[in-house]
Amino acid sequence: MLSNSKFAGIADIAQAFQCARIVAFMALSDVKARYKRSVLGPLWLTLGTAGGSAGLGFIWSELFHIDAATFVPTLTAGLILWQFISGIITESTVLFSRQAAIIRNLNLPLAIHPAQLLLRHLINLAHNAPVFFVVALVLGNHITLTAWLALPGLILLSLNLLWLTLFLGLIGARFRDIEYLTTMVMPLFMLVSPVFYRPNYLPFSEHIIWFNPFSHFIEIIRYPLLGSPPPLFVVETHLAMLVVGWSVTLWLFNRQHHRIAFWV
Amino acid sequence: MAILTFDKVTVQYPIYNSRSMSLRNQLVRISTGGRIESEAGHIQVVTALSDVSFALQDGDAVGLIGHNGAGKSTLLRTMAGVYYPISGKVVRQGRVATVLELGAGMDPELSGYENIIRMGILMGLSMTEIRGKTQDIESFTQLGDFLQLPVRTYSSGMATRLMFAVATSTQPDILLVDEVFGTGDAEFQVKAKERMEALIKSVGIFVFASHSHDLIRQYCNRFFRLEHGLLAEIASTDI
Repeated sequence: MLSNSKFAGIADIAQAFQCARIVAFMALSDVKARYKRSVLGPLWLTLGTAGGSAGLGFIWSELFHIDAATFVPTLTAGLILWQFISGIITESTVLFSRQAAIIRNLNLPLAIHPAQLLLRHLINLAHNAPVFFVVALVLGNHITLTAWLALPGLILLSLNLLWLTLFLGLIGARFRDIEYLTTMVMPLFMLVSPVFYRPNYLPFSEHIIWFNPFSHFIEIIRYPLLGSPPPLFVVETHLAMLVVGWSVTLWLFNRQHHRIAFWV
Repeated sequence: MAILTFDKVTVQYPIYNSRSMSLRNQLVRISTGGRIESEAGHIQVVTALSDVSFALQDGDAVGLIGHNGAGKSTLLRTMAGVYYPISGKVVRQGRVATVLELGAGMDPELSGYENIIRMGILMGLSMTEIRGKTQDIESFTQLGDFLQLPVRTYSSGMATRLMFAVATSTQPDILLVDEVFGTGDAEFQVKAKERMEALIKSVGIFVFASHSHDLIRQYCNRFFRLEHGLLAEIASTDI
């Protein structure tokens, strides 16, 4: 084994693919451990989301004079996706330091940790997703075949979140302030991202909100869920972010891979 | 066939957020092992190993001695592939198992059985292998029905039994052990020793860091002394 490989990060990711079994098992086991002593377990997530979107949805649709049948499903999808995205991002900054015991004692590829985090949140998302479909059907919306387009959207989003997680994990391991910074800015991002509303609800600033990457993260899935394919520029932005994001992250991971064990 | 070779290996690690030029650090430098140097600006660098070279092969059982902070744990972690050297080359062939800090990956909310699987999976075992070893772990730990309870309900001695049993349940080619005998009651110590001896006989390369010179003389056939990050091979009479 080479000790000073130039592509240590890429080699690490290649090794992580062989550890897919470990990633899957650990993610499931983490979810299980978290809800160990509760009766409803992860269904609490589902209930919380359902309650939140019902309450907020009906009050706000009245407050803003919007038709509940269109607004509540929009809000539900927005809330579920925001939980998924912000959950991953907030946890990613402490990704490596949380797993310090494993990193310092076992010779495992480091890339399994972002993958495990993503998978755990995908499992949570799977618990929340039914709420949207129930809400939409109860309010008389039709779920069309276009909704299947949410799946490739989810794959694009997940691949983007994966590099973002690794990137934030790396700088979060080195600079501990990133953790607090992220916890502080994520609620602010929630307000300036189209979580409670659609970008086209905004009369003047629609083009501004598309500068926020979270708008793209949410809309690539919400468009098909609400019955129309996502605009092409949303898909293009995702692809561009994939290329740029992975390039920067891999460059950084290659450079810093050997140092991470000393940081945690 | 196990091989472990170090060629002029130097390991340095950065310490962030410490005041570099304080008097306290100068004192620390005198009283502990690693040499503390200043990298760029205020990031401090500890040279934990400098220019370490050796070659180990099947049948070598190495005892590592040196006082606190001499670099024993760093050397074990570098051998395991957890730490990477800043210069030099490490060649390693064979499946590695470590008994360093016990309990990596243990979750206190999960039961003993679930934790056996968790730790086993992390060590690279398959489900079938883990199932095969569970009985052996059950009988070694003698935890009985406690294995069905969450690990957070265990006393520290019970948790140690479990962690030790899992950590020593593999059949590696290279076994790296940091001193772990010091815990548990007298009965456990005897059993742990027996289990360790059986494991040592089955591995190709064994490296053991300890302050107990008797244990080292008993298990090892080569002896390394670490001092301020420098490694020297010594004769058993010089320990």
